[in-house]
Amino acid sequence: MKKRITSILALLVACMTLLTACTGNPTQNPSGDSTGDLKGTYEITVWVSEIDGMKELTEKQIDAFEAANPGIVINATVEGISEANSATQMLTSVEDGADLYCFAQDQLARLVIAGALNKLGDGAAATVKENNDAISVGAASVGGVLYCYPLTSDNGYYMYYDKSVIKESSLDSLEAIIADCEAAGRNFSYELANNAWYNAGFFFATGCVSDWTTDAEGNFTSVNDTFNSDAGLIALKGMQKVLKSKAHVESSNVADFSAAIPSAVVISGPWASKDAQAALGENYAATDLPSFEVDGKSYHIGSFSGNKLMGVKPSTDVKKTAVLNQLALYLTNGDCQLERFNQFGWGPSNLKAQANDAVKNDPALVALAKQSEFAKPQPQIHGSWWDICKLPAVAAKDATTDDELKAALAKYKTDIDALFEMTEDQKQAWSVIGTVNGTNWDTDFAMEKESDNVYVSKDVFAMTAGMEFKVRQGASWDVNFGGDGQPGGANYIVEADGNYKVKLTINADGTAVLELVAQ
Amino acid sequence: MSKNVKTSHGLGLSAKNKIGNIIAHVVIVTMCFIWVLPFVGILLESFRMETTMQVGYLIPKDFGIGNYIALFEKTNFAKWYTNTLIVGIFVSIIQTFTVLCVSYTLSRMRFKGRRFLMNMMLVLGMFPGFITVIVLYNILSDLNMTGVNAVPGLILLYTASSGMGYYVAKGFFDTISKSLDEAARIDGASRAQVMFTIILPLAKPIVIYTILTAFMAPWGDFMTAAYIAHNTSEGMNVAVGIQNMIGSQMSLNAHYTHFCAAGVLVAIPITILFFALQKYYVEGVTGGAVKG
Amino acid sequence: MKKLTTAEYSTLNIVQKLLYNIWRFLCAIPTTAISIGKGAWNGIAGFFKGLGFEVVDTINTFRKGDWKTRVSFFIMGFGNISRGQILRGIMLLLFQIGYVVYMILPDLDGLPGGFSGGLYRLKKFTTLGDVVPGEQYDPILDTYIRVDGDNSFDILLYGILTILLCFVFVFLWRVNVKQNKIAQELLAKGKKLPKAKDDIKNLLDGQFHKTLLSLPLIGITCFTVLPIIFMIFVAFTNYGGKYDGYSNLFTWVGLDNFKELFNMGGSDSNLANAFGRILGWTMVWAVLATFTNYFLGILVAMLINKKGVKLKKLWRGILVLTIAIPQFVSLLYVSKLFAANGLVNSFLMNMGWTDAAIDFWGTPEIGRVLVVIINIWIGIPYLMLMATGILMNIPADMYESAKIDGASGFQQFTKITLPYMMFVTGPYLLTSFIGNINNFNVMFLLTGGSIPNPELSTSGGSATDYDLLITWIYSMVTGVTSNYKLSAVIAIMIFVVVATLSVIVYNVMPSTRNEEDFQ
Repeated sequence: MKKRITSILALLVACMTLLTACTGNPTQNPSGDSTGDLKGTYEITVWVSEIDGMKELTEKQIDAFEAANPGIVINATVEGISEANSATQMLTSVEDGADLYCFAQDQLARLVIAGALNKLGDGAAATVKENNDAISVGAASVGGVLYCYPLTSDNGYYMYYDKSVIKESSLDSLEAIIADCEAAGRNFSYELANNAWYNAGFFFATGCVSDWTTDAEGNFTSVNDTFNSDAGLIALKGMQKVLKSKAHVESSNVADFSAAIPSAVVISGPWASKDAQAALGENYAATDLPSFEVDGKSYHIGSFSGNKLMGVKPSTDVKKTAVLNQLALYLTNGDCQLERFNQFGWGPSNLKAQANDAVKNDPALVALAKQSEFAKPQPQIHGSWWDICKLPAVAAKDATTDDELKAALAKYKTDIDALFEMTEDQKQAWSVIGTVNGTNWDTDFAMEKESDNVYVSKDVFAMTAGMEFKVRQGASWDVNFGGDGQPGGANYIVEADGNYKVKLTINADGTAVLELVAQ
Repeated sequence: MSKNVKTSHGLGLSAKNKIGNIIAHVVIVTMCFIWVLPFVGILLESFRMETTMQVGYLIPKDFGIGNYIALFEKTNFAKWYTNTLIVGIFVSIIQTFTVLCVSYTLSRMRFKGRRFLMNMMLVLGMFPGFITVIVLYNILSDLNMTGVNAVPGLILLYTASSGMGYYVAKGFFDTISKSLDEAARIDGASRAQVMFTIILPLAKPIVIYTILTAFMAPWGDFMTAAYIAHNTSEGMNVAVGIQNMIGSQMSLNAHYTHFCAAGVLVAIPITILFFALQKYYVEGVTGGAVKG
Repeated sequence: MKKLTTAEYSTLNIVQKLLYNIWRFLCAIPTTAISIGKGAWNGIAGFFKGLGFEVVDTINTFRKGDWKTRVSFFIMGFGNISRGQILRGIMLLLFQIGYVVYMILPDLDGLPGGFSGGLYRLKKFTTLGDVVPGEQYDPILDTYIRVDGDNSFDILLYGILTILLCFVFVFLWRVNVKQNKIAQELLAKGKKLPKAKDDIKNLLDGQFHKTLLSLPLIGITCFTVLPIIFMIFVAFTNYGGKYDGYSNLFTWVGLDNFKELFNMGGSDSNLANAFGRILGWTMVWAVLATFTNYFLGILVAMLINKKGVKLKKLWRGILVLTIAIPQFVSLLYVSKLFAANGLVNSFLMNMGWTDAAIDFWGTPEIGRVLVVIINIWIGIPYLMLMATGILMNIPADMYESAKIDGASGFQQFTKITLPYMMFVTGPYLLTSFIGNINNFNVMFLLTGGSIPNPELSTSGGSATDYDLLITWIYSMVTGVTSNYKLSAVIAIMIFVVVATLSVIVYNVMPSTRNEEDFQ
């Protein structure tokens, strides 16, 4: 007992060291004087794509930004990371994450919810909207609010093939392509069962939709999904043609062209064009996806078209945040995008850069453009969907009857609906939805309880005359009110411009009063 | 002796042995062939010059050391390698110290709570440690030992709990007779003197075994190390660095042969150490496993 | 079956002996389980008894104590200092001052280098934070900035540390009281009190174990025990997904997560099913992986050890070579070898052994066998090295006498080699079994991107037929759902299963029961 004191004290020293060495929160920077003067030195971390040369190019572009903004000195640490991993890495610890980072579009909602993206100021938002194509602006927005800067408009996929195997006449027909592959003993690489991004193309081909709505914080509120339908069944039957072929390989890597049992077709995107050329040599060719035929009707396989984005991490330091936003705006401008196109073949989202002749004539981008007629702009999609949508394809691989396919689609629908199972609080919550704040009946704006039966919107809306909106409960249309105060009544139509909050008072008789409270 | 019994099977002893030996050799050679095949495959990949992608044949069409040069010129490989080397050296020193302390104590001394301690450490080791990495990351991050400073962070992390891996070393100490201690104690030596002057010199195999295993572990760790480095190139170890190098399909195609070359370079120090110290390794693990 | 005497036992043949031993082992399990349970009960009862004794003893010490002792109740170390044990006294006093100052510090988190006090932290700990982080608009710079709030993660972590510290304080205070009692008694008997010099001398001799264990135990406490306690607490919060603690605070939810896992009012009907199936495969895998490696390793070692085999060192060396290449390199390579379009398939087809490529990884029945086989490839070199050494230790005369009795080679193996190995390597088998349950590397690197099994999909994301509990947790944590709460619950479950199993086995094993036999 006597000497135990020593070891306990040592343990204590360790505890105290931990407690004292660790400040509870990181030291907050003083918020700055906010005089508009941004001169100063900034230590920042930037994460860009890990491909060879991107780091160096980005460093060069940051130097150019410094030259264009005298007085601003940026000490940047540029690190490479794949776009798929950067969001995961950011979310491990937002505090320690990069100040400026690039990521793939499908991660946006997740990053917004985690507070890892900084809302654009009005000026920056206007510039982005003016200079980039509409799809990319939509891809960078959540609930009508721009959260990041479009970097490319080239995230799509199409078909790379071996000219010596696939006949010219087969190119429009999935069945003919599969037959060519099987006849030549070559494979057909199409990542369907393991990647919803690719298999969704079959659903789009038959006219299925999966449209998701979010609120301004990035939370998903509802979905209009028609995959569980007759059209969805046809899509699965089309997919089965590939999945059940002995030539099918579950992959999207163009290295399959030089595998031990080589592929003759690989469905992949623009990033792989250089490697595909290297692997196929003079037999290299690329074109849009083919059509498949079910019950005598032909369907052209669709695809997603998406974007890469660049975001700024929110910080408490106003000057630093302002500089980072300026830098992001600079790095995503037309000239910088063109530099990336020239060096890496990245298709620009900037309108001026898109008009460039070299961009217009790039073969990979031409194939992408050919497919774009059938492509669907990639909306904000719930992260779990990418997992859930694999499963119908997996089931289709083994299924032999229509009933099995239907069961898979029904399961898909159940899983999707389960994502919206709400807590009792959420079911009771009221929200404003309409054409307010640049949204189009796809975004719920939360309301707060003021007193019993009285709710007021959290946000102040800048409204113009003629705008329409309603309030609804639990993000569903089961209970909703409009201008006339009757359940399920007509939309509220704004009469005069102004900044308002929306106030809802529910009467005992089941009607309600909607008012605009000027701010 | 048993010659009569053996010959009664109808074959001469020497003939039977000969056939047995031939079969044994055939089996062993086949096995070694299978075992070494992937090793040779990776070696061949690392000298492949015609492409950086994965291909469907074994023998490179164009031999060269370009992949090794590219590792040092195009990537931060030298830094990652040095980082891992530093971590390996420090971890092997500190971990050996810790493991010896714990295993010696548990083997040689009897005190209140000893059984409890041993059971506790056994049980703690069963918790899937991987999911606590997020907590460890936050602790180290608060101590400013992540990112650029990942090297000291990793050393701390690997060694802090190393006392829990006392089994093999304790088993080894158990095999050393206790009468040695008792004789020395009667001569008036303190327990500390017994440990440092009498027992440790006898424990050379287990010391070397511990050093060797402690040194090898950091080279293969990419899960924990990836968290601690937090995408900071300067703070990565070899495993994280080259895993990162093939982080996407595009970069896998651009770096696959470099990746294999890096694997070969990592294998070099480990192979050398292993072959030089194989004898001790076997003695250590044998003595330890007997009572592990 | 009753216990046989040695004489009866020796009359049995090999099969009977084996069956008898297995029977004995199984018989021992319930009794051992009961005795472990009893032991645990006695431990708990003993703990409370001991606690009661300590309280009574403390009160008595105060009643019978002189004034120095009584003052020590409020100022720790006072008794030691006044009686001449300066070093001990000062350490205790410093600890008390440090503790009190830390506990009463106000909230200083916002200040540079400041950190909050213990009481403040404990108050926050009850809710895991209530100040929600927000954002602010700076109109001059047209920039949004973050306004820091509470951080649930830090609150939880430092709350636990503070609680630990409080325990340490109570314990040390009790030590302090006890020391006074002892000192008083010693002085009453006219003996001398030990001085600092005696303390140090004692720490190198009688109490040497405390010196040796203190540092390792501090390390284990901070970097293993603390994180495990943290994760156990997490199982009772809603940490994960949206509630990351940084932008959206998480909070206590009681037993909700456990209910969700076992379908008690939870939303996901498939979790219990998926958990059961994955647990089943994990156990099958662990048994197969452990025993195939074990027996084949011994066989290989015996084969190489065989008299007449030449170049023993070379063969061992070649096998050991495979250890040197890091697993993440070699397993990626091997995994690619067995791909549907890989070298193995092309070899099989070229030899005419198969017509179509075998989808090794896409067919779980084949793939699971393959994983076990590849694991043998990895594990045998280690086992071979170990077995080589042990085999040399088996007394040669045992074999000689067996030969005289006319035992065949196989009989020698089952009668001498195997029992001997089993006896001495029992603990190793147990640890490697546990290691295989949590064997992340092999499964993840070999089958990482496999096609999910729809029947295993849950709210935590999808799972493949290859997933072990540990890889399942991994994809839950790193996947889009970042489901920390559920993974913490599953980790606790793994822990319970494994710990129960192995504590029983550990205590039944002959080599641990007879620990003292060897020395």
